Amino acid sequence: MNTLQLTLGPVLFFWSRDDILRFYSEAADWPLETIYLGEAVCSRRQQLRGQDWISLGQELAANGRRVVLSSLALIESESDLRRLRKLVENGDMQVEANDLGAARLAQQQGQPFVAGHHLNIYNADTLALMHSLGARRWIPPVEMDRDTLAAVLQQAASNNLQIETELFAWGRLPLALSARCFTARHYNLSKDDCQFRCLEHPDGLRLNTREQQAFLTINGIQTMSDGCQSLLPHLADISAMGVKAVRISPQWQHTAQIVAGYQHAIQALAEQQTTRIDLTPYADSRLVDGYWRGCAGIDSTGEAHHAHS
Amino acid sequence: MRIPELTLPAPVASLLGWLPSTPPCWALVSTLNQLKKRAILPVDMSLLAGRRFEVHVLDAGLRLGFCADEDSFHTASGSEEPDLRLSATLADFARMMLREEDPDTLFFNRKLIIEGDTELGLIVKNLLDSVDWSSTPLQRFMAA
Amino acid sequence: MPATRPLPELVCPAGSLPALKAAVDNGADTVYLGLKNDTNARNFAGLNFDDRTAREGIRYAHQRDRKVLLAINTYAQGGDISRWHRAIDEGADLGVDAIILADIGLMEYARRRHPEQRLHMSVQSSATNYEAINLAQELFDIRRAVLPRVLTLDQVKQVIDHTKVEIEVFGFGSLCVMVEGRCLLSSYATGESPNSHGVCSPAKFVRWEHGTQALGARLNGILIDEYQQGEAAGYPTLCKGRFEVEGDTYYALEEPTSLNVMSMLPQIIDIGVAAIKVEGRQRSPAYVAQVTRTLREALDAAGREAQRFSVKPAWTQALSKVAEGQQQTLGAYNRPWK
Repeated sequence: MNTLQLTLGPVLFFWSRDDILRFYSEAADWPLETIYLGEAVCSRRQQLRGQDWISLGQELAANGRRVVLSSLALIESESDLRRLRKLVENGDMQVEANDLGAARLAQQQGQPFVAGHHLNIYNADTLALMHSLGARRWIPPVEMDRDTLAAVLQQAASNNLQIETELFAWGRLPLALSARCFTARHYNLSKDDCQFRCLEHPDGLRLNTREQQAFLTINGIQTMSDGCQSLLPHLADISAMGVKAVRISPQWQHTAQIVAGYQHAIQALAEQQTTRIDLTPYADSRLVDGYWRGCAGIDSTGEAHHAHS
Repeated sequence: MRIPELTLPAPVASLLGWLPSTPPCWALVSTLNQLKKRAILPVDMSLLAGRRFEVHVLDAGLRLGFCADEDSFHTASGSEEPDLRLSATLADFARMMLREEDPDTLFFNRKLIIEGDTELGLIVKNLLDSVDWSSTPLQRFMAA
Repeated sequence: MPATRPLPELVCPAGSLPALKAAVDNGADTVYLGLKNDTNARNFAGLNFDDRTAREGIRYAHQRDRKVLLAINTYAQGGDISRWHRAIDEGADLGVDAIILADIGLMEYARRRHPEQRLHMSVQSSATNYEAINLAQELFDIRRAVLPRVLTLDQVKQVIDHTKVEIEVFGFGSLCVMVEGRCLLSSYATGESPNSHGVCSPAKFVRWEHGTQALGARLNGILIDEYQQGEAAGYPTLCKGRFEVEGDTYYALEEPTSLNVMSMLPQIIDIGVAAIKVEGRQRSPAYVAQVTRTLREALDAAGREAQRFSVKPAWTQALSKVAEGQQQTLGAYNRPWK
């Protein structure tokens, strides 16, 4: 039976250089199959520059970790493209392409790559096309429901397509990107003079409705869910579908416990043991899994946000 | 043709409000059925069947209730809440019908009030927008 | 700079046959439309074209020497994507001048099955840089790309200078503050998004609450905004609601404004933009007529007198009348925008 593997997604928030380095020195010991590194959200966030990420990646790789460099999801300027080229041409680590332009550069280099969830692969034909460009793993759009994914995987399998699937399994959902910076807007600053206020919000800024329902999270130019995606209750199904890996998206605190919880659940699954794992203490918002169930993404995980396997 | 900015004077409105709404309502329903029969109103009745509508002419104090089945429109009486209520002044309704005003603009300005099922409201709006008046004598009145 | 840049095509929306005729009659060079299903990103009940109205619309436009584009700009979903394939076949059969596609898997199908068909890359493809556009050009010979509404004018020029693909930009209409094709706010709240269902903040989830004090607008139960008596209302599009962040209640993402690039037309022409697009297939023929007429006049004036061009107050007035939120902005084209 296919044993699920755990990956650590790129840090989507803006943390200081020291915090990032501390985080990855800890993460180096976690039971992870792959660590994704890099700035995927905002080109102004440069506590670590491209070469710093590459060096950090080489260090982690030297310790036996598979490292993938995540590319910026919104490539607008020539300097964004320059940085992207440097990332793709790093020489040894794969890149997670979060933009079609990144996919093109990887293809031109003859580099296999990971097709990030921003590439909008919603069917097996598009998946096959990405594979032909060099994608060897893909992350479905975070809004894709279980049945749609099952249909895509079934068709891909019947076409003999060899590509690994990785799911966004834990964390605030990355929902939208904009030219506008909502954090700067909140502080009445212009985007070009944002004073890097994102640094003050290591898990983003909470956005409530006018009746105080926690709804979204502002993270610079990115809008995320307030609810924390948790696919923990569905791991057995996910594994049976042929998914290769599940991704934990880093958060300011407790990422280690979440990784451990998932690892424990995966272990139990492999040994066909029953286990109860409750990760609610490690989330600072409601757990949601509506997307996976074909509902609104904001819908909470049912009565049981415990893993039953 | 420009429709002047006017509201019916209050005395007229209160008088109209007292009159039974059956004749105007019957006129509305039979016009709708005629337009549908002549394929000017390109309506998919399955989207409207079983729903109740009310057109509320604010300044005339007039409420025109009707409903739809799979074949045609009928007048409806009784006090049952409609699935969709459209309220505006007579002049604003006329502007909208003659495409002098965009229904969205009227709505944004709170001059057109849509209550009830929002999707049904959108269906009705899109239906009115899709009427090709160029095939009717009304064309010369149309703004667009 | 050469003074003889060709005028950009004026590309106008049509959600119905009367809107198409209004666009053509008022000076659109090109009209774009969608079919009555979820293969297009304005999949609203009662809107769009069936075979008969599409044929009549295309005949009407072609007789007057105008072009018609078919938008198939959602992402084909899951195992059975025959609906999208049929829509492409239908577009080719109808003889549209180009098909606008978002999903690169569908571009591959269209190129393979209809080698002669002209293809455009939709704004929903989120192609914000020339590398992305050139990929689609090399693989599928796309002839035009529509840029998301997130680039500055300099960035648009940068794209134009590095590709042989024609570039189309948005000129007027409701403003999408998010990168098109990369916004899932709608499905987070309702389960349906532009990518998956061709809708944003769909009407069937909208409820208006007429309270004694205020009008409340909810989307799937989530309060998007509240309007006091006399305050202009807006459709509860998620990103245009008022929310609370750290004790402040304000338009946290975007005011309900419209994009309007009229004042920039000379620069847009100068950098070599091939087409200017008007948003609004969901809007009425009255809107289409008004906007098309005004932009036609402005564009012709900018072409004639680039140096002395200025926006006429009458144009601004005509557009603000139909604009959402009645405020207009240059959006991302202008750097100070924040």
